[in-house]
Amino acid sequence: MTELTAKARAEQAAVRRRQWSAILLMYGVLLSVATILLGTFLFSLLASIKRDPLEQPFRLWFEQIQPTNWVVAWQQGRAGANDAFWGGLAPGGSVVFDVTYAAPVAVGLEEPDIQIPRRRPGTGMAAVVYQDFAADHVADLEIRRIDDERFTAEDADGLMQEWEKATWRIAFRHDGEGPRLERVPLTSAAPREQFLVDATLPPSLMERRGRQASWDNISPGVLGYVLNNYRRVFKESIDLNTGDSLFLSWTRNSFFIALGRVLLTLTLATTAGYALARLKFPGSRALFMLLLLSMMIPVQVTFISNYLVIRDINLLNTPWAVIMVAIVSAQVLIMKQFFQSIPREVEEAALMDGAGYWTTYWHIILPMSKPALITITIMAFQGAWNDFFWPLVLISSPSNAFTLPVGLLSLRNAYGGAGDWSLILAGAFMSTIPVLIMFIVFQRYIVDNPIASGSKE
Amino acid sequence: MNLSMHNRERLAGWLFVTPFCVSLFVFFLYALGRTLIFSFQSYDLFNDPVWVGLRNYLSLLTDPLFTLAFRHSMAFAIIVTALQTVLALLLALAANRKVRGQSVFRTIFYFPSILSSAAMTLIFIWVFQRRGIINQGLTWLSAHVGLLLIFCAVVALVMLVLFLNGRRRYDWVRWYDPFHFACALAIALVVAVICAGYGIGVRSVEAVSITWMNTRQVWGPLPRTLWAIVVMNIFTTIPTLMLLYLAGLQSIPDSLYEAAKLEGASPWQRLRFITWPRLMPVTFTVVTLGIIGTLQMFDQVALLGDAAPLQSRITLAFYTYYNAFPPGGTPRIGMASAAALILALVTLVMVLLQRWVGVSETTND
Repeated sequence: MTELTAKARAEQAAVRRRQWSAILLMYGVLLSVATILLGTFLFSLLASIKRDPLEQPFRLWFEQIQPTNWVVAWQQGRAGANDAFWGGLAPGGSVVFDVTYAAPVAVGLEEPDIQIPRRRPGTGMAAVVYQDFAADHVADLEIRRIDDERFTAEDADGLMQEWEKATWRIAFRHDGEGPRLERVPLTSAAPREQFLVDATLPPSLMERRGRQASWDNISPGVLGYVLNNYRRVFKESIDLNTGDSLFLSWTRNSFFIALGRVLLTLTLATTAGYALARLKFPGSRALFMLLLLSMMIPVQVTFISNYLVIRDINLLNTPWAVIMVAIVSAQVLIMKQFFQSIPREVEEAALMDGAGYWTTYWHIILPMSKPALITITIMAFQGAWNDFFWPLVLISSPSNAFTLPVGLLSLRNAYGGAGDWSLILAGAFMSTIPVLIMFIVFQRYIVDNPIASGSKE
Repeated sequence: MNLSMHNRERLAGWLFVTPFCVSLFVFFLYALGRTLIFSFQSYDLFNDPVWVGLRNYLSLLTDPLFTLAFRHSMAFAIIVTALQTVLALLLALAANRKVRGQSVFRTIFYFPSILSSAAMTLIFIWVFQRRGIINQGLTWLSAHVGLLLIFCAVVALVMLVLFLNGRRRYDWVRWYDPFHFACALAIALVVAVICAGYGIGVRSVEAVSITWMNTRQVWGPLPRTLWAIVVMNIFTTIPTLMLLYLAGLQSIPDSLYEAAKLEGASPWQRLRFITWPRLMPVTFTVVTLGIIGTLQMFDQVALLGDAAPLQSRITLAFYTYYNAFPPGGTPRIGMASAAALILALVTLVMVLLQRWVGVSETTND
């Protein structure tokens, strides 16, 4: 008897173990999927602040995310332009920068060749945008050698020997005339046997087989250091005639179009949804079938005529065109289903009292439909913000009339060929900020989106 | 009185649908009709259209670019729809339990689907660069292939041992016992880490440098460029579809499974005869959404632009656009319209086909 219960207990324990393991495995699956998803975005987000997003191997711990460098960047920015955030070199500012070299005593230390080059950052529009060079506005440039203690260490061949070490302190100030400069680049070339062991900020890249260290900006400011690629998106996508930032115009256009789409959607979807849900009228069934058909037919089937219609009413290259061509069938469907879920008694009482259909719709039905209204508002905003096809077809010029997605395409065309991915990734991430905010605030309405059950009918 | 009420309702109905109808008629129905007419005409947007009968359709058949685009679209739609449906279902089955923190996972899983195709595509073009992280990941994999084999072997071995051991005590133990699997994974992980520490199963390899984008290489039914887009598409859609399946799974009453267990149904039978038919409506939705979405895949192709040759990225949807607005050429609206109608027809046929197949499947049960 006791033996039996012991066996039964052991079996129960085994069953419990199995259940726990199943839950554990399930969390494992969920976590791996989440890791792959978020990991991809995390990697590309990290890449978007790197100087070279295509570096090999891909480092997860690099200069721009090291807090010690942020502090230095902050101080350098304050010294150079009295701007700890965006840095630079402004009249009245002065910069001090150290580079430290070491070499075996037998070889001896030589003074490195330190220059402030006339160099533009990146490719594409940079050549046109940046016209002022720090090299032209530097005064009282002074380089002083400070000797350090000797130390013993192994060299590359494993030989213990004595090394000498010295720091060259570079100091200069703005000559007081001329513009505020955004960046102060620096290069330092030394003989091959001599190693760069330290510097105020780590070099942006090593050139000439490691003999020349070069810095993009030695007084960057903390944001100028971390978010330089993001700044470049604004600085380098400019209208060459007016000098305005194209990225800002694209953002404005995208907002305008999204807002227009939201208003249009709310109007059309609630009225049509109400009629289809509640009113009996000839043709409603045909209209419903047409609505379903319109959800299945790709936009590429109808865009030629729509392009011509827009051309005939002279709205090509305006945001109005993109707003009006949208067909809001899915949203009508959602509103229809929502209205049908409202008990009829509520409005029948009102109709009995002699209220018209409009009054019922406006004063009774709509106030009860807030969740559905929020859902279709989000759908419309997100759809318009992310829309690529209609802006591409309907807005072809000038480039300040683009929306963000089409603008991103033009960025890709300008910079992708040269492999300058930092700016493209930064632009891509910035373009997603509004929908990200919306997603975080309203995620309840997005995650429980009835579109899936809607399009099933 | 009654009649006038009736008339009033009619009138109100018409008035209420008028705004939507205007939009639907002008930008959909009229546009569809015009596309039909254009498909029998030769038209370049500027000169008057000329009636040419079926010539557009005939020249489509002889246009190698069209046949290429058609093949790509069909293969792309079938591959992506099949893969994403199956993978989403498998993941949902693996994750089908009411757990804490579900809302956090839902939020994370929804995340990729809210981003614009433009941003997603640019991120993925970067991922698939020659020096991008996909190639770096493949390099890592090929360097550690021995370690992976060791890992799998240890998992299999431990599971076998645990299974045989368990068999002695309880006759209901099955080879896929989750407890055994979890133990095996943990042990194999430890073994793999130790092996890696001693450098066993790790070899040094040359960096993988596959050109994913700018290439004319074809792998099976699709060019390599489009395979990269397949990966991207699946990546963005699977989490959402998985959530649809999870909702479906959780609406199946537990009592059905209990009854089946009492009848002695195996897990496979339970999956085949309870879960699968009950999930049919969700599968319809997932497959329909998949077909419609994949056949009109356009943004990714357009955003690739000159990063890939036209032959490696063209699809039906892009072929239509490309003929209507050829870079530096005269628009061929007739050809574009004919191709567009074929695209519409293919979409409808595929959606109806899967419905029809699906319906006959459910009536069998």
